[in-house]
Order: sequence, then C-alpha cells, then structure tokens
Amino acid sequence: MTDTARAIAEGLRRGDRASIARCISIAEDEPELFSRIIKGLYRPGSMPRVIGLTGPPGCGKSTLISLIVPKLVEQGHKVGVVAVDASSPFSGGSFLGNRIRMEEALSSKHVFMRSIATRGAKGGLSVSIINAIITLASAGFDMIVVESVGSGQADTDIANISSTVLLVLSPGLGDEVQAMKAGIMEIADIFVINKAELEGSDRAAGAVRSYLSTISGGQNKDIALTSCTSRRGIDELVRLIGDHESKVNAKEFAERAFRSEVSRIAKELSSRRVDALIDGHAAAIGQMAESMDPYAAAARLLQGDIEGGRSRRPKR
Amino acid sequence: MFMASGKSRGSSERPIRVLLAKPAIDGHDRGVYVLARAFRDAGMEVIYPGLLPTPEQIVDIAIDEDVDVIAISLLNGSHMTIFKKVMELLRARHAGDVAVIGGGIIPPRDRPRLERMGVTGNYGPGTPLETIITHVRERAAEVRRRRRVA
Ligand SMILES: Nc1nc2c(ncn2[C@@H]2O[C@H](COP(=O)(O)OP(=O)(O)OP(=O)(O)O)[C@@H](O)[C@H]2O)c(=O)[nH]1
Ligand SMILES: [Mg+2]
Repeated sequence: MTDTARAIAEGLRRGDRASIARCISIAEDEPELFSRIIKGLYRPGSMPRVIGLTGPPGCGKSTLISLIVPKLVEQGHKVGVVAVDASSPFSGGSFLGNRIRMEEALSSKHVFMRSIATRGAKGGLSVSIINAIITLASAGFDMIVVESVGSGQADTDIANISSTVLLVLSPGLGDEVQAMKAGIMEIADIFVINKAELEGSDRAAGAVRSYLSTISGGQNKDIALTSCTSRRGIDELVRLIGDHESKVNAKEFAERAFRSEVSRIAKELSSRRVDALIDGHAAAIGQMAESMDPYAAAARLLQGDIEGGRSRRPKR
Repeated sequence: MFMASGKSRGSSERPIRVLLAKPAIDGHDRGVYVLARAFRDAGMEVIYPGLLPTPEQIVDIAIDEDVDVIAISLLNGSHMTIFKKVMELLRARHAGDVAVIGGGIIPPRDRPRLERMGVTGNYGPGTPLETIITHVRERAAEVRRRRRVA
C-alpha cells in the first residue's frame, strides 16, 4: 500500500473527518487508489442502513433531514448524510445548496455530511454516492441518509441501495403526484406530505391514499404528514422509519444493495477502461473506418485487438 | 470521421470545489448568488451553506467537503477578525493547504495584512467576475499540486 493509502485508511479507522473527506474525493477521481484504501477496512456483510429521500424540488427534503438526523443521533446512530445535486451538462459545474437548510443539524461529531454533484452520471445514481456510503460505513457510520435529485433512473437506483425509501411531496403538487405514479411511487416505503400546515395537504394525502389502494401491497405503506415549520409529525415520521427498518430483511437488503453497488462499480470501471482504450488508440480506430463497420471495430477494441497506430490480425 | 471519446476523466479535469461563505450580517445575499452562478458556469462545484456561517463552521465545512478554495465575501468591517480566525482554525486542524480568497469592502490599508495572512484576491465591489474566476482557478491549481506531492 502507498503511503497515501495507508494514511487515509488509518484516518478512516480513527474516524478522522479530513481522511473521510479526502477519501470520498479520491473515490471520485482515482478508483484504484480508493479500492486499495477500502480493501483492509471494508467489513463484508456490515451494510449500513440507508434512508433514501426523494421528491420534487423544494418539497422540503433537506429541511426534513435536518430535523430527522438529530433524532437518529439520539437513538445512538452515527449518521452520514449524502446530498446530491445535478451537475450542469454544459459547464460541468454545480450549485451544491443542500447545506443551506441543514447546517444546524450538522454540528454534531456523530454526523458527517457531504454534498455530491452528479458529474454526468448517465441517467442514474452517480457511483460517487456509493463510494461515499462505502467510505462512511468504513469509518463507522451505521446509518446513511441520502437526498437524491429526484429523476427517473436515479430514483430506481436510490431504491436499490436504500433500506427505507421516503417519497416527499408537498401540497399543491396534484399533477406531480400523477406524473410520479409510474416510477418512484411504486418503490417508496413511506409517503411524506410535508408542509402539512399549508392548505391542500389533506387533498395530497388523499391522492396518495387512493393511489395506494390501487396497487398490490399499497395498504402496507405508510403516509406521514409533517410540517417543518411547526415541527409537527417529525417524531411520528422517525417512528415510521424505525418501524420500517425493523421490518427490513437484513440479509435480503444487504444482497440487493451489494448487487446494485457491484453493478454500478463494474459499469463505471468498464466505462473508464473503454475511455482509456479509445483515447489511446484514437488514430488506429480512425483508420479502421476504411476497412470495417463500427460494430466490428468496437468488438476489436474490446478484445484488445488494436495496437499502436495499426490494427492487428486476430491470432488463430 | 471518428471523434475522440470526449472527456477522459483525468484528475486535472475534476471540477474545482469551492466553498462560498458570507459570514456576518449585512442583509444582502444577491451578490453572493451572482458569484455562485458565475463559479458554477465556470465549471466549479460551489458549496453554499447559506448566510452567516461562523469561522468554525466555515472550517468544518471546508474540511468535510474537501474543498480546494474557500471564498469569503464580507461587506462590513469585521474582515480582519474573521479572516484571522479562519486562517488560525485551518492551521490548527491541519487544513492549512486550503486556499482562502477574500472579497468585499476591504480598505486598501488592510490588504497587505490580509495578504500576509495568506488571504489573496481581496477584490472590491465591481471586480469583473472573470478576474475572480481566474484567480480561483490559479489558487486551486496550486492547492492540487501541493496535495499531489503530499
Ligand atoms: N411552509 C413550509 N415550508 C417548508 C417546510 N419545509 C421546508 N420548507 C421550505 O421549503 C423550501 C425548500 O426546502 P428544502 O428543504 O430546501 O427543499 P428540498 O426538497 O431539499 O429542495 P431541493 O434540494 O432544491 O430539491 C425552503 O424555503 C424551506 O424553508 C414546511 O414544512 N412548511
Ligand atoms: Mg435539498
């Protein structure tokens, strides 16, 4: 192990915040170094519980997290918070603003919060989230709260790595409830109607309830009404989360989450490998345009059947 | 014709992470949003913790978010104490490698003192955004070079 890897692994073991922070960055840029750091720390089978929150922009996910997290800490958990914002597809930059509503909850040494940009993760959950979860778990955090950007594929991914999925809605989103039915509504475990002090919250709850009556298993799902301004319903929500967590089949969850992680990581690594191959053989690939179709060229590339500026004949 | 694969994700291309902080009360945050948008449009990841972080919070966030640069904007006279505190805390927490950039209403006579503390930029109102962005990029590049060696 290199010195950097050893120092960071040592830091993670101690729960040193700077090491955790640097490790999450390393995971984003240097997967090989990251895999070496994690090797000696990862405790197989000890998957942290993951509470995933999703829902339309502005419905109050961050504010809810800031109220829920201190209660999870009171229960004895070390809580990691990972909040995701979209990167601009044009500049690659991102405005990471979820801390605005959370700062109060984050001053505890039992809480570690990290803002993550999607960085062009194609339509799904960025592998960075998984890496952040692995890092936090390795540093002794046993409960991870993830705030997602709320889009189709990312939501499905969130569900795969979460032991409890919260769909947060707020009054006045009648149409959005309709639009969401197809995707996330099916995988949410708890429906939260936030801003419940506002008019229309009963109607929103009614819409969710009538939707749930049409799907199988719908009657087992919970609906919580919360108001972050009056803090009403927060204790009840925390209780519902606890109830759901206690019903989760630990082994099943661990296997599902692990499968999803392996799939994301494998895709990420192979995509990096392909990028490197293409960069390394740009000229040779260009020359193949004269002799074959693109499928044949891609197959050769993946077989490692290209070298330098020339393509090699397959050995028989 | 064949196009190169687009972005290869070398560490040189990892977006710069900048913490944008506006401590102390002065009632405006429009300016800070203009800056946040400019940084984002320049390809940076901007962590904005809202108004009024204390120096302690600024340093905590800078460490947890592993930022390259802390950009602090101040519009009242408290800059000396706040910058001094931030620099001290960074050193005490072994995070002295993070670049600190200042801006706001800073009297000319305070500038050299800030520079000596390691706070650079110290731009006044009306500075072209391009100038600030270039400076952030330069400082971030320095930080990354140092970290790579460390
Ligand atoms: N009236 C009312 N406002 C709330 C409540 N909860 C949150 N808000 C406000 O709603 C706005 C958005 O809250 P956030 O917590 O940032 O919402 P979010 O879902 O995290 O938003 P994004 O991260 O942008 O998707 C803020 O102005 C909050 O103060 C609530 O229960 N009642
Ligand atoms: Mg949010």
